[in-house]
Amino acid sequence: MDRELLIEIGTEELPARWLPGLTAQFGARLEARLSEWRMPSAEPIETFSTPRRLVARAVKIPERQSDFEELVMGPPVSAAVQGDGQLTGAGLGFAKKQGVEPSALERVETPKGIYLAYRRHLRGKATVDVLPDVLAAALRDLQYPKQLRWDAQIEDGRGELLSGRPIRWVLFLYGGRVVPFDITRTASASSPLVQDIRSGAVTFGHRFLTTSGRAGRAIKVKGFDDYRRRLAENFVLVERGERHDRIARELDAEARRRGGRVEVSPAGQDALAEVPDLVEYPAVVSGAFPEEFLQLPAEVLTTTMIHHQHFFPLVTDHGTLMPAFLAVLNMEPEKPETVARNLERVLTARLRDARFFWDADRQQTLEQHRARLATVAFHTGLGSFRDKADRLEPLARWIATDVFGHPEAADHAAAAARLCKADLASNMVRELTELQGAMGGIYARQEGLPEAVWKAIYHHYLPTAVESTGAPSRADLGDAAITWAAVALADKVDTLTGMFVAGERPTGSRDPYGIRRAAQGLVRILADLPELTGVHAAIPIDRLTAKAFEAFAGHAGLADAVAALAVFLGERVASVFEQRGADVRNVRAVMTGQHALVPLTIRRRLDVLPEFTDTAEFKQLAVLFKRVRNIAKQLPEDSFRAIEAGGGALSALTDPAELALRDDIARRAPAIRHAVDAGDGYRRAFGEAAAFGPAVAKFFDDVMVMADDPAVREARLTLLRRLEALILQLADVSEMVPQSDS
Amino acid sequence: MTFQDLILKLSTFWASRGCLLQQPLDLEVGAGTSHPETLFRVLGPEHWQVAYVQPSRRPDDGRFGQNPNRLFKHHQFQVILKPSPDEIQQIYLDSLEACGINPRQHDVRFEEDNWESPALGAWGIGWQVMLDGLEITQFTYFQQVGGVNLAPVSVEITYGLERIAMFLQKVDNVFDLEWAPGVKYGEVRLREEVEQSKYAFNQDTGIPADEFAAFHRSQFDANYAFAGRLADAKLLLPALEYALKCSHLFNLLDSSGSIGVTERTAYILRVRQLAVRLCREYAAEAEAAAAAKAELAG
Repeated sequence: MDRELLIEIGTEELPARWLPGLTAQFGARLEARLSEWRMPSAEPIETFSTPRRLVARAVKIPERQSDFEELVMGPPVSAAVQGDGQLTGAGLGFAKKQGVEPSALERVETPKGIYLAYRRHLRGKATVDVLPDVLAAALRDLQYPKQLRWDAQIEDGRGELLSGRPIRWVLFLYGGRVVPFDITRTASASSPLVQDIRSGAVTFGHRFLTTSGRAGRAIKVKGFDDYRRRLAENFVLVERGERHDRIARELDAEARRRGGRVEVSPAGQDALAEVPDLVEYPAVVSGAFPEEFLQLPAEVLTTTMIHHQHFFPLVTDHGTLMPAFLAVLNMEPEKPETVARNLERVLTARLRDARFFWDADRQQTLEQHRARLATVAFHTGLGSFRDKADRLEPLARWIATDVFGHPEAADHAAAAARLCKADLASNMVRELTELQGAMGGIYARQEGLPEAVWKAIYHHYLPTAVESTGAPSRADLGDAAITWAAVALADKVDTLTGMFVAGERPTGSRDPYGIRRAAQGLVRILADLPELTGVHAAIPIDRLTAKAFEAFAGHAGLADAVAALAVFLGERVASVFEQRGADVRNVRAVMTGQHALVPLTIRRRLDVLPEFTDTAEFKQLAVLFKRVRNIAKQLPEDSFRAIEAGGGALSALTDPAELALRDDIARRAPAIRHAVDAGDGYRRAFGEAAAFGPAVAKFFDDVMVMADDPAVREARLTLLRRLEALILQLADVSEMVPQSDS
Repeated sequence: MTFQDLILKLSTFWASRGCLLQQPLDLEVGAGTSHPETLFRVLGPEHWQVAYVQPSRRPDDGRFGQNPNRLFKHHQFQVILKPSPDEIQQIYLDSLEACGINPRQHDVRFEEDNWESPALGAWGIGWQVMLDGLEITQFTYFQQVGGVNLAPVSVEITYGLERIAMFLQKVDNVFDLEWAPGVKYGEVRLREEVEQSKYAFNQDTGIPADEFAAFHRSQFDANYAFAGRLADAKLLLPALEYALKCSHLFNLLDSSGSIGVTERTAYILRVRQLAVRLCREYAAEAEAAAAAKAELAG
């Protein structure tokens, strides 16, 4: 019979930002281990969590593991059986090792011949006996962003048990009965106050709230329904969605009571994302702060409220900030007004600090702040942010003038680049680091610098999202669009080249210097440049990196860095377009065989390519093109170039099919070349390319490429090389051969 | 509850939980962690429970007595429990109740906040404890000190005494706190804040910046070299004192703007190397002593 499995790992408060991922992991690992142990859950495992518990429930788990059959291979029959059918020593040895009579062995045919084998049947064990191993394995499997050693171990032969936070209790029920499971403690920690954790049938409610008796006492439960009900009675909502909805509902109601509405995600900061994972039993209170603080920039107010206090700013219907906030408590306090007063005092103190910084910072110009950047480290091998700013200034000027072709923007770009890091030396950013960039922009505006300068500073860390709709928008940028792009590109390309020269490489999920983010931002600006700035240049990435590397001339790591960065940026370009939803094969196709990495033309080709990939014409071309590429290899690249440079050798062509292909290429080439040269018209170009199919098919049907006559052979290969080169300018179409045809 | 009452309540509470009441380290340090009662005692296998107040100097936080929340010097109440008891969170909450904070009437939360001291080669995992949105305690399970893995793991509880007292007395300016009946915090400490801030930022001293820097650099170098000599002689406690002096001198060089980036990193690295060396040697001695003791007992 199938029975319910319920596991709750009671912990000390887990970090809110880990909780969603960790909860999903716990379910997935248990599910995988249950299947591995041949007792799979009939339905997907349900998971729940609060800061103090990870919960998994499987409605139906079989009572026994399924039986198991294993084929144990022995020696080959040729060596194990004599002519008379009796076993040789090797054969007898195998039977003995398996603990069976020779008659129990069978013969199995394999590609390597016939072998002696033993088919072993294992009877499944009772589920309750296997579950402890399942949980031990699942706990070992859990991956935490940061692991804690807390003097714990599991007796599974793998020693110490690390986890995110100490585990305090384990509720482990199968069919309503406790499954025995122990987490023991290391000898060095052994003391009366440090005890083993033994599984039980009890859970614990809210730390402080209770309807009767003492809060936090053990609560005995029989199964999941009972568990959930008893926890709700004891002020714990195990379902995250329930907490989220309750918070949203109460925020809304309280905001309306205050005559405003909640600004949940000002400037992309989703304040509601973490709060449900900070509380077991949410309640909302509101408070106010003195109106005088509304003179502070809105960015300072919202960052202080959201990032530092997890408060929700209130806004009027017109979207302007009100001198009020809402807060989510993990409590239903007896006197909410007392708690609200305390929250107000904390916020007011922080805002008073912020105002001090605001006043103090404005006593100096950004130029004066910039002077202090020499004491702010960028990277040990690359000096300070002052050094970085000194590199950015000429780089941004060069980008505006030479790369964008907008010399009139050069002075503003250079001025913004010169000052863009200055806010790192300001009091405000040292305290509220999230405001880097924005604060510099605000101070620049206060100083009366032009919009083209202050907005460039304000937004220069952007973009951070890969989507083309991510911030900043053209409207955000206003008159600063071009200067912004010059500064933002200069900053990113300087970080990339500098960090690679200094030997930094992002590995796995580790990227302490934001190298990946810089690459992503670089690709995005170049890919969306016309929409963001009105500049239509298709800019090869290596044009920027080559220039930026000049600042690091003479560095030991330079040669390695140039090669490694090119590879890395190729991967990042592919990754950006894949994250935007492009088909992996299409991305590979438009990136293969390209001489330069140009995000804008890659994007343009990817924009139209999907319109063709499913057409019969294009599929035909894909298959044929693969053949073209295979055969064309017979003519080395440099020989081909020499032939073409010498005026071509196509006079040896005579067959009508090959002449037709030659003419087809000549006819279709201009449209394709135009698209490539002009950077647009790719739809027409792909249309022309797709139409090559019939001519190529006829060529392969009628013509034998590897002809005996060397002149004819060379002419035919040259023709294929020419076709290959032409189509490769658009995409390596052969990458799109459907799997079954390749 | 006065500031001194708060210290008495916490001392009484932790003494009743088996802690030895120690006294502050009589040196200039930035946190209670630097005290050998923490830094050395958490090393090795020997169990240990201790509590003490530690006046803590942070030159960079000096505000000339003009900021209601920030101080050149504040007071920490430091608790070290080795190993960490299973019920430590509850025991901690009980300590708040002993100070008159009823967790059922407030929003008390443990929010993720890990601790790291690059200069001590030390880090831990834990929380900041929030009381109605106010951070009142740093709660850390030590993982490494001086680059040495800790077993058993100690828990460090660091109460911010001024913050808690301000909460209890409902005052918004630290200098308005009642230290003892009829005596304000400002009366006790304001002059010290003003003068120490001026010194830390080298303002109104009339001492040229290069002379100020040169003096502290030479002090650093002399103390650093001497710490090494003492370490060579296996005098780890005196050596630690000289290392801590270096750490404080570095903080002063930093706050007065006397050092650049590359140098800054180099200074931190030098202090760290010293701390790592001292902690390694202390840990080795502690392990050996415990092994010898076990052999005698066995």
